[in-house]
Formats: sequence, C-alpha cells, structure tokens
Amino acid sequence: MSDLIQASARDLSGPLIELTDVKTHFKTARGLVRAVDGVSFTLERGKSLGIVGESGSGKTVLSRSIMGLLPPKAAVRHGSIKFEGREILGLSRSQMRGIWGSEMAMIFQDPMTSLNPVMKIGRQIAEPLRIHLNMARSDAWATAERLLTDVRIPEAARRLNQYPHELSGGMRQRVMIAIALACGPTVLFADEPTTALDVTVQAQILDLLGEQRRDRNMSLILVTHDLGVVAGHTDEIAVMYGGKLVEKAPTRSLFANMKMPYTEALLQSIPKLTDPSHTRLSVINGRPPDLVNPPVGCRFAARCLYTQQRCREEEPPLVVTPEDPEHSYACWYPVGSPAYFEAKARIPSNSTVEVL
Amino acid sequence: MAGTGKAHLRDSPDVLLRVDDLVVEFPVGRTGLKVHAVSGISLDVLRGETLGLVGESGCGKSTTGRAIMQLPRPTSGSVLFENKQLTEMSGDTMREARTRMQMIFQDPISSLNPRRKVRDIVLEPLSIWKRGSKKEQGERVDTLLEEVGIDPARAAESQPHQFSGGQCQRISIARSLVLDPTLIICDEPVSALDVSVQAQVLNLLEDLKAKHGLTLIFIAHDLAVVKNISDRIAVMYLGKICEVAPSDLLYAHPAHHYTSVLVDSIPVPDPEIAATKTAIEGEPPSPVLPPPGCRFNPRCPAAQDICRSEEPQIREIEPEHFVACHFPTFTPVSISV
Amino acid sequence: MSIDLEEPTATASEAPTTLVVTKKPFKMPRLGWIFGTIWLVTLSFCALFAGQLPFIREYSAKVKVNGRAKSYGWGPGWNAWFGTDKSSFDVFARCIYGARVTLLVGVGATALGLFLGGILGILGGYYRGRIDRVTSIFVDCLLALPPLLLALLLIYRLDDLEIQIWFWKVTRPWEITITLGILAIAPLARIVRAQTISLREREFVLAARSLGAKNGRIIFREVLPNVVPTMLTVAFTGLGILIAAEGALAFLGLGVESPQTWGKMINAGRDDLAKAWWATLFPCLFLLLSVVSFNLIGDQMARRFDIREAAI
Repeated sequence: MSDLIQASARDLSGPLIELTDVKTHFKTARGLVRAVDGVSFTLERGKSLGIVGESGSGKTVLSRSIMGLLPPKAAVRHGSIKFEGREILGLSRSQMRGIWGSEMAMIFQDPMTSLNPVMKIGRQIAEPLRIHLNMARSDAWATAERLLTDVRIPEAARRLNQYPHELSGGMRQRVMIAIALACGPTVLFADEPTTALDVTVQAQILDLLGEQRRDRNMSLILVTHDLGVVAGHTDEIAVMYGGKLVEKAPTRSLFANMKMPYTEALLQSIPKLTDPSHTRLSVINGRPPDLVNPPVGCRFAARCLYTQQRCREEEPPLVVTPEDPEHSYACWYPVGSPAYFEAKARIPSNSTVEVL
Repeated sequence: MAGTGKAHLRDSPDVLLRVDDLVVEFPVGRTGLKVHAVSGISLDVLRGETLGLVGESGCGKSTTGRAIMQLPRPTSGSVLFENKQLTEMSGDTMREARTRMQMIFQDPISSLNPRRKVRDIVLEPLSIWKRGSKKEQGERVDTLLEEVGIDPARAAESQPHQFSGGQCQRISIARSLVLDPTLIICDEPVSALDVSVQAQVLNLLEDLKAKHGLTLIFIAHDLAVVKNISDRIAVMYLGKICEVAPSDLLYAHPAHHYTSVLVDSIPVPDPEIAATKTAIEGEPPSPVLPPPGCRFNPRCPAAQDICRSEEPQIREIEPEHFVACHFPTFTPVSISV
Repeated sequence: MSIDLEEPTATASEAPTTLVVTKKPFKMPRLGWIFGTIWLVTLSFCALFAGQLPFIREYSAKVKVNGRAKSYGWGPGWNAWFGTDKSSFDVFARCIYGARVTLLVGVGATALGLFLGGILGILGGYYRGRIDRVTSIFVDCLLALPPLLLALLLIYRLDDLEIQIWFWKVTRPWEITITLGILAIAPLARIVRAQTISLREREFVLAARSLGAKNGRIIFREVLPNVVPTMLTVAFTGLGILIAAEGALAFLGLGVESPQTWGKMINAGRDDLAKAWWATLFPCLFLLLSVVSFNLIGDQMARRFDIREAAI
C-alpha cells in the first residue's frame, strides 16, 4: 500500500471519506461554472453510495473531485475532503498518484475508450501491479489471471493475451473492473458503469460490483442518472441537483419516505413495467439551472410543482428527518408535509404543460 | 428463438406495413463470413398502431428499422408499405415512397447537420420536394417547431450544438413530421437522454401520434420504455423474433425465456424488489456464427436437445400472444381455429 | 494503472456547459494569426500596386552608384532598403515583384489541388465501391511517384507541348501552377476522402437520404459544408509548402523566366553569399514569413472550426 498514506496518521476508526462544503468551480469563457457548490457528506468503510442526478447536476464532477481527477488549472476547489482522516483536497497530482489505484480506483462509462486498444489485456492489468506493488512479472500475470477469474471472465488465461477489441462490451467492462480492483482499493468509483451496456449485461455488472464490494470489504460510489440502478445495489443514495446535495438517505429509507420533490419527480418520470401501456409519464418541466448564474433560493424552484414564494427567496438548508437521523434533505415544503399537500391541492390536475 | 413463421401476421385491411421474411446480411471484410444481422423476420403494423421492437444490441432491431426504409436495401424479403412493394421500387419512386415514412435516430446530435441552422434543417425536406411557396414552407416549419416545444426564432439563428440533447431530439421529430408521413420509425430515440427528458420526449411522441394520426415503430432496448409507448411488442434476439404480444400481455406473462430474462433485468426503482433479482449468465453470441437451432439456446435455462438442433416456429400460445419456443414458460391454452 | 492516466473529459451524458473546460486561448498563436494576416495583406497590396507606390522602385530600374550600375553596389541602407543585387537591381523592389508570381503560383496551385482533390476525395468517400477504388488508385499513383521527378517531367513536357488555348498561353508560371496543383491533389484528396467517409456514416446523412434527398444534394448540402473547413485548414497549411516548393523548383533552375521570384533570387544570390548576404537573406526572409503566415492562419482556422466541432 501507499507509503504516503501509511506515513501519515491513518485513521481507521472514523469515516472513510468525509466531505465538508466541497466546491468545484470551473473557469470558462462564460464565467465561473459552479459545478459542485457546497457538498458535505460522509461515507463509511465498506458501504456503497449511489450518487444520482440528471446531466449537469454535478455528480460526475463531484466523484472526480473526490478522486482529484480534475484539470488543475481550470478547476477552483474549496472545502475539505478527508480520506481516512487525512486531508486530500490540496494534494498535488504526484501525491495523489500514491492514492490512485491502491486506495481509490475508478471505472468509466465507456470501457472501450478506457482501455488501451494496442495493449494486451494481461499487460494492462499486470502493469499497475508491477508498478504499485513491485510484483515480479510472472506473479503479476498470475494475479491478473486470478483477477479475471474473479470478475467472472471465462477462459481467463486465454483472455490475457487478447486485445480489447476482441472482447464484447460487457467483457471489457469486466476487464476495467479487474484493473480497478488490481491493487486492492479501499473505495471504487463507478461512473455510469453500465450506461453503455445491454440490460442483461447491466444486471450482471451491477451484481458483480456488489459481490466484489462485499468480498473485499471495499466502499463503492456508484454515479448514475438511473434511480433504478442504485435501488438494488447501494446502501445509501445521495441525490444531486444543480451542484448541490438535495437529499441523502439509506436506500430503503429514501424510497419509503421520499422528502425532496425532485427525488419524487425523478422517480416518477421512469416508465414502470407494472403500469399499463400508454400511461402518461410525469415529467420534470424545464431544464436544469444555469450553473454560471444559479438562481437565488432553492435551485429546483423553477421546475418544482410545489414551489412557494419562500422557495424562490431562501435557500433551504440540508435538514435531518425526524424519523431517520441518517436521512437528510433540502426542502422547505418536503413531500408529505402539510404545506406540500396544500400546494398539491392548488395544482390543476392535468398540469402536464411541457415548457422548455 | 428462433422464430421463423408468420403465425403472428394479421390479415386486416388496416395493415399499413407488412414485412415478410426480411433478411439482412453484411459481409465481414473480405473473410467471406457474413454478419447475420436479421435472419428472416416477418412483421406487420396496423394503421395507428405503435409496434415496439425490443432486444439487446446486435439483435438486429435497428437494422430491421433501416431495412424497412430500404436504407440499405435488405438482402432478401419483402416490405409492403401502403400496399406498395418497396423492395421492387427503384430510384425516384423509392425516394418518393420514403417520404411517407420517416426515421428518428438514437443520437440526437449526430442526426442533425452541425453546420446548418436548426430551422433550415427542419425546412430541408420541404425544399427537397419543393412543397408550397417559401412563405408556406416557413409557416409549416414554425408551426411544427412550436408543436415540439422549440422557439422558432431561436431555431432560425442557432446551430444544433446550441441546444441540449432533448431539444435536438425534438428538432429531429419536427423534421420527421414536416413531410406529413404516415409511419415513423423511432430508432432508440430516448436511449441517449436523461430519465426526466426521456419522459418529456415519450409524452411528446404520444401527443404527436394522436394529433397527426401517425403509426409508430418504436425500437429500444429498454422494455419499460417500449411497454409504455407500444400497443404490440416484438422481442428480438440475434436476428430472429422470439415473441410477439400486446404490451400488457407480454409483461403479464412472458412466454419466451428470453423475454422473462429481459423483464427481470430491468432495474426496478424499488429496493425491496431489486434485492430479489438475479442476473442471467452470458452475453449474446456473435451474429457472425449464430448457434444452430433456437438462437437463444446457449443461454436458455430451459434448453433441451431439440433446442440445439431444431428451430422453433412462431405459434399462438394464447389469443394474440405468439411465441417461438419449444418449451415456453407456460402451457398454451387451447385455441380453436 | 491506466486509471491514473485518465484525464477527465466531458462525457456525452454530462451537459457540455458544466464540464467543457474552455481555457483562455494562448496569447501567442492569436498574435501570430493577426501578424500573418497583416503580413500577407500588406505584401499582396504592395505586390499588386507596386507600380503606383512611390517607395517601390520600378521593376527594371537599376540602382546606380556614382551614375553607374554596379554589381552588389549597395548594402542594405537608406538608398536601397535591402541593398542591390548582382545586376544592380533593388532587392526590396524585386522581393515585392517576386511576391506577385510566388503568391499567384501558391494560391493558384492550392485552388487547383483543392478543386481536383476535393472532387476525387468526396466522390470516392461518398460513393465508395468502384468509384472509390478508381480514385484511390489514381491518388496512390500520384503519391507513389517522387514529387520532384514528377514536377520535372511535367514542366518539361508542358514546355514541349506549348499549349495555347485561345488567348491563354500556358507559360512557365502557369506550368508551375499546374504542376504544383497536381502535386497537391493527392494529400488533399486523402484527407477529404477520410472526412467524407466518417461523415457519410453520420445519422444526419442517413436522415437526409430518408427524406428523399438525391446524392448530389446530400453531397452539396450535408457533406460539403462539413468538409470545407478541414479543406481550408489543410489548404492554408499546404499553401506554405507550395510556396516553398516553387522556391525549390526555381532553385533547381525550373523557375519562372520573366518576372523575378523569390526562389530564383535565392538561387542567384547563393554563390555570392559571402560577398553580398542581403541578396539571398531578404528573399529568404520573405519566403519564410509568408510560409509561416499561411501556416499560422491555417492553425487558427483549425482552432476556430474545432471549437464548434468540440461543442458537438
């Protein structure tokens, strides 16, 4: 493991990852894009967290901020990211290198572009093992073969000598997972790992991720736009909107007792197999907020069905629900509150006006 | 899966499109091998109906859609559209006939020319066919843009990259409607979109279908999406049809083992249900060397010897529900012919 | 671990507005582009109106020292800015007049190459099949021949032919233009073909076809607008090379006879480099500056067109 981390005080008792008011802004020609704007949460060792949101909600930027995988020149970063009790936000790339791979690893949406097309699978897995863990060549290849078996790739020995283009999309994503697991990371980031895959393969890959997480006592951060994907595969869910965390809860608690109208709307916009066909889908009107000039007040106010005057003026803080101390949300009139029903009653029943 | 046979075809005067034994093959480089993208499928669509085509990548669903448009022409088989045989048409007649059906593609951004103004893109079909005066053309385009929720003034001065993915898909839809077609083939129109935008586009398609009296072929890999929009669904696997049924029936009791796998694989946004699911092993084999017999047999939990040698025929397992399987998930109810 | 090396990039699923990190463009290239344009515009203007401009000597006016023409009579100075050459002509004036031929040959050859190469590339790339095979073989043949040999052969052949089409006599400058134009076909055709092939697979081309557009319309309306920026970018970069090539031909004695060109001046002055460096240096400098200017403009074009592509 990394000398760097070992040398510093490694706090194994506290949370694995602790974010305090993390902000990641990008300097662009249009102005400062507040892609992540003040996110705080903790992740326990061995737990899995799903980060859910639409395009442009900042979920990808958040995961890359934690990993320190952002262009250093363009990104402005504030707040604190503690990994095993150690501040990692200000670390340089060379310092992060000791953490990448052995402590944090990442898999991406498109397994084809993430793999080197002209290098054999075996070498792509063995190389980091030899660099990070100083393994001998034969040991590294043996480990690579074991890893491929672990991620359920049939005929692992033969696959080592193949090139990425000889594998199917699902197999490539398995190889990516094997590479990510090679140095035994404490936390694995999966950024839309199944979006490019077929449904049957998606289910396999999600199962594989869950299984490897349990076997290796690893934490998993699953970034996705699909609430369905995280429902069965994570312990906790964090919903992001407009660069902010708007709801965070243990998975069951979230689905059983949704507080944020955005989460509710996101869930309702998914077509359900149990509904008869031609069921009118509920939509979230409008578009995500402009992150250069984010609106005052709640960022979801412009699209929310239950918006009140207060929502447009004051930004709701993240508060804890009375039922579950681990369930927090940011809304003035949460789903289920009297004000929510009052607002709902005022909405005409067929308000499916779609405005862009 | 296999599915040859035409038991599921209907003999109705309302049939708008009828596809018989469609075969599409592509050569693999100069190896002499062939990709069997579509291996003899038959379909029909009634006027005003929405037919869903579901399956995983490589099952030939998109190729089927394009072969119906004759882009490219199928290797063999017949496509009867509005009682005209498309496969025998040539040149200008084909071009003319193609305007009666339109296509919407998966990648909303790639399907619009990046260097043209959005309004000109939507106007292009009218300008190709010289329909109406300049003024009439402009009015028609503006009406349609408004119908799909795009501001015509903005469209006149913006290029596609200035719009979001969902808006680009709306622009594509407007363009496909401008020639007043009867059939629209939607090739994974919402797969590249966020769930919230996906719902907007699906609702829009339903509205436009009612308003313009359209018939849709909706191709997608997401069974939940297809079920929501379709009247009838055909499930495809490796270039063959496995099951055809009205959407609610298909989901209520899938007869083909592949369909039940597909239904089970869809991530359900409910942790109670999601935890109970198990994934099927394996991936679809290559369409270059499809397995003999039923093409699903290597992955099928119920496969027996006959499945590896003999291709099942499509048969009616209950009224309106057709399946191509030797051992379907439930016993057929007896049907009096 | 390959992950370590992974640079964050904007993924298709993420809205471009939040992830595309637009860095401020570097100062240098931007200045360079402006400089290039100013240089070329000024040069073209001076070359075009050389006869009217007071500060440029007449083409055939010899600079006299004490009333007599003298070989390399003046060094660079107030009298003759760039000095005088072997035959006592003003180097500055000759550099300006030389630009006429050089720029015309460069631009003409590029235009010819663009036109023919563009046609071959688009036809081959769009129709594929037999047309592609024929055009590709032709292009490959052009590439297979050593360019210098081809140029020599062509120019001598054209010399012998003495083609005259109505009033238009194919003189040496035209021969060089045609020759260089033919040499420019192959690389341009290849680039255009590659671009066309990738474009024809794009869905908007399929959409146009499904709307009933004919091939000609698809080529002109859908493919061409997307190929032209690349063509121009490559052409501007290639223009520099062609200008240098004209110099090289002149250097080999295959230059233009009557008006002076930079290549010929460099060729003439090189023997007396030690005695009169100015006679070689200044035309070299003009050549260098023009080549660099075209390249800088080409780069700027690439960047400009790229931003729009990147936003897609």
